[in-house]
Amino acid sequence: MRTLDRKLFRDLWRMRINAIAIAMVLGCGLSIFVMAVGMRESLEHTRHEYYANQQMADLAVSLVRAPERVEFDLAAAPGVAVVEARVAGLALLDLPGVVEPASARLVSLPSNGKPLVNNLVLARGRWPDPTVAEEVLVNEAFAKALDLETGATLEATLRGRRQTLRIVGIANSPEFVFVSAPGELFPQPDRFAVIWMGHEALARAYDFEGAFNEVVFRLAPDADQKLAKRSIDAIVERYGSTGVYGRDRMPSDRFLTEELRQLATMATFLPAIFLVIAAFLVNVSLARIVATERSNIGLLKAFGYSDAAVGWHYAKSALMLGAVGALIGSGAGVWLGRLIAAVYRDYYHFPRLDFAAPLWIFVAAFAAALASASAGALFAVMNAARIAPAAALAPPRPVAFSQSNGLTGALSRHLDAKSRVIVRRIVRFPRRSATTVIGIALAIGLLVVARTFPAVMDRLLDVHFSQANRQDVTLSFIDAREEGVLHAVGQLPGVIYAEPTRVDSVILHNGVRSVEEVLIGSKPDTRLGRLIGAGGKLLPPPAAGVALARALAAKLGVKTGDWIDVEQTRGARVRVSVRVAAIVDPMVGSSAYMDLDAQARLMREPRQITGANVRLDPASYDAFNSALKRTPTLAGASFLTLAEQSMRRSFQEGVGYMNLIYLSFAAVMAGGVAFSAARVTLAEQERDLATLRVLGFTRFEVSYVLIGELAALALLAIPAGCVAGTLMANWLMQLFQTDMYSFPYVFNPEGYGLAISFTLACVAVAAFVVRGGIDRLDMVAVLKGRD
Amino acid sequence: MTGIKDRKDCACDRWIAQRRKLSENMAPTFSLRKVGKRYGDGLAAIHALRDVDLDVAEGEMLVLLGPSGSGKSTLLNILGGLDRATSGDVKFRETSLTAMADEELTRYRRQHVGFIFQFYNLIPSLTARENVELVNEITENPMPAAEALYLVGLGDRLDHFPAQLSGGEQQRVAVARAIAKRPAVLLCDEPTGALDVRTGIRVLEALMEVSARFRSTTLLVTHNADVARLGDRVVRFLDGGIRKIETNSGRAAPADLVW
Repeated sequence: MRTLDRKLFRDLWRMRINAIAIAMVLGCGLSIFVMAVGMRESLEHTRHEYYANQQMADLAVSLVRAPERVEFDLAAAPGVAVVEARVAGLALLDLPGVVEPASARLVSLPSNGKPLVNNLVLARGRWPDPTVAEEVLVNEAFAKALDLETGATLEATLRGRRQTLRIVGIANSPEFVFVSAPGELFPQPDRFAVIWMGHEALARAYDFEGAFNEVVFRLAPDADQKLAKRSIDAIVERYGSTGVYGRDRMPSDRFLTEELRQLATMATFLPAIFLVIAAFLVNVSLARIVATERSNIGLLKAFGYSDAAVGWHYAKSALMLGAVGALIGSGAGVWLGRLIAAVYRDYYHFPRLDFAAPLWIFVAAFAAALASASAGALFAVMNAARIAPAAALAPPRPVAFSQSNGLTGALSRHLDAKSRVIVRRIVRFPRRSATTVIGIALAIGLLVVARTFPAVMDRLLDVHFSQANRQDVTLSFIDAREEGVLHAVGQLPGVIYAEPTRVDSVILHNGVRSVEEVLIGSKPDTRLGRLIGAGGKLLPPPAAGVALARALAAKLGVKTGDWIDVEQTRGARVRVSVRVAAIVDPMVGSSAYMDLDAQARLMREPRQITGANVRLDPASYDAFNSALKRTPTLAGASFLTLAEQSMRRSFQEGVGYMNLIYLSFAAVMAGGVAFSAARVTLAEQERDLATLRVLGFTRFEVSYVLIGELAALALLAIPAGCVAGTLMANWLMQLFQTDMYSFPYVFNPEGYGLAISFTLACVAVAAFVVRGGIDRLDMVAVLKGRD
Repeated sequence: MTGIKDRKDCACDRWIAQRRKLSENMAPTFSLRKVGKRYGDGLAAIHALRDVDLDVAEGEMLVLLGPSGSGKSTLLNILGGLDRATSGDVKFRETSLTAMADEELTRYRRQHVGFIFQFYNLIPSLTARENVELVNEITENPMPAAEALYLVGLGDRLDHFPAQLSGGEQQRVAVARAIAKRPAVLLCDEPTGALDVRTGIRVLEALMEVSARFRSTTLLVTHNADVARLGDRVVRFLDGGIRKIETNSGRAAPADLVW
């Protein structure tokens, strides 16, 4: 090893605490990068493999009813490689030991083997015997949520007929990676099952013998998807098709795509913040080293080292810090990635999901770390390279200060001498002061962001479950029914009050833009399913026209007063122009809303409803549920308390994880920045502080000069951090916005308080540790040396 | 040294007169008995001072002379409460410094000692006036900072920062900072070591005048034999011990020195 390199290692060792702080800050940022990008790649790869191995459908279509022979026509459509016609429907489940009826989506399995499209992965058990009507497979999430094993039985009501189903196997399907009941936006694995059963048995149960109502397609690799869609649409149109759709409208795939998008957001936002701070820290530390090494630089140059060689010597120390940071980040990223992969595997029931970050991610992490360190080192390295040897060898002049005018000047005049030292140093070294303020502010900001999420979730749940939907249960009928059925609902035990609702699947068109969504109808005087307008104001459903959720209006590119087309997805597929009467903010879902009677007329089913919202007397809860389980015309019952609990639990798990990550990262950021700043201040002021001790100042008084500077910067960082946090939270909420949820920024004072106090505590710990240096000040040695 | 001439009727003259009277019949400012300082243990032990016996009278100007490593600065540090003797006893007036706790030494420095160093050690972010005020803030009944700076001839440089002053001016600010508290003891460690002859003489003049005016007991460390002519007595150091103590028949004026 060259002597100069040995010096490099010793220099780094001397500044090891600063070096560790910088490497940790870099490591934090890059670990998130490696974890999030690696997870996205792994998830994408897993999804790709899963879809390919299990023949995930490229296209799908739902019909009212089509005869079996149509399958041959569909197979012959251009671009279609494989067709699977099947029967699917909904059923109510009566689970042993569970009061409320659950619901299930039943899907038929081909009589002659495994599905050719959307094939299943059998987790346990065996495939059902097609000749035994009661044998079924259930999805793993449901089995796990209810602790069901093979051999267990389920009581199901299929189109009014009660039937016992025996679980012979537990399976997963690429079609149902994410499973939620129709109309529910959030998965409740214990409340909704996917059940696969033999084609004949299911066709018999639903009166579909010789017919089918769903088709899934695999396309040839070179197929023209648009042409295939058009051809299929032409064939199925007369069978009550809701229109053929691709993966972009399959709920499970849509959800996965959303998840991938969020990982990508995470991969850019947090690492960028940490890389910038690391660059600032390198800048401050290296500038200090170059200042301390001034005479050595002069000496090296006097011996004949070139400017470039001296510059490179100092650049190498920054690059080494970058490399160490990248190593920490890569290691921690892989570790975090493996943890999160296990969570994903558990949640999505992929047959296999290993965290496997490709090489390019590590290369990118190293490149980013080196770029950040180099950017930070630039000024100091250039100083080292530029300084003339004679100037470097001459004793340094004292750092030049000047009388400041303006605010700091006025402030200084009213302070004691020690406080003046603090104020003047802050003003004299603006880059370093700014680094400290920005670093601490970003730490506060990160925590504000982390603490905004739960507040937003609370608001979301409150608006959705307490203000908008005040019913206890939403009942969905198998088919649209006369409004008079509400009377029968009112007769169910425990029902205090019932309101009619109507939910129709429609396609909304505005010019070339079209979106498939649900249209929800309610009475103008509705007391249960209410609409929330801008600013949380309650709105009645529009007497004329349609109200659109903000996200939906944005997708369609319309505003209040515009006209859109509403197309029925079944029956006569009527298409009617309707005026956008209002934009609403439901927070959950992005539906369209109408007056119930207007909607029924629009759907050519006057005075017909598809469900009811119900308020219950809690005392009759069990009796109500027993009655539901015996009601043949029900397709499903959604219990809002259960849905809320499930959502809350799931959010809390996610938020808990996130909180921990954000807390530790904010601690590293605030601690690292404060530590680094205090160390540099101590190193720079060692002589001054020792002088103060010699002059008779106590340790406490001298500590004030050291810690006062950090404290003043931390105080400046508080408002900056609150602003940064608010901006970041607003921005992130918008980024995380999905079809299902809109996240408004919610001011959470407690979160701000926690962010400030936690960050200041980290700063205080760092300051306290560095302050120990004052106790160890060697007054004699410091004062003997030249500086 | 226009400062002193400008301020013939300075308010502190009365105070100085009082102090002269008080000092008669008083115990020596410092009395050292068998004082030793050892760094390290066993074979690695280095004896920076051995068995030093010395009395320094109130108001005396004592020059400590000797080559590098002879122990003179170590002694100065012990007398200034920056370091402790490892053997023997050091008394400041009636009080033993050897037995003082850290906080007591801090208080001792604060109340009684003025330091002047070779490299000035001014706080770069404070002006000349503020560097003096810094000490005044922790001292009872100090001299106003401006007055102290007038005394050392820097009446027109009050609001200059150290970076705006020459080396000699910076050292004179250090002198003003040391005397503003009217210290009983002035400890000067090579105060002209970093200065050229002309500037050095100017600083020594300032030092001599203020120490005489306040009758501060002054110890001046130097390796420059000619500077020794400034003292009432000269203590010659060699290898950690006192080789010889000489009494000057008369004190030379700084302007007469050559080095």
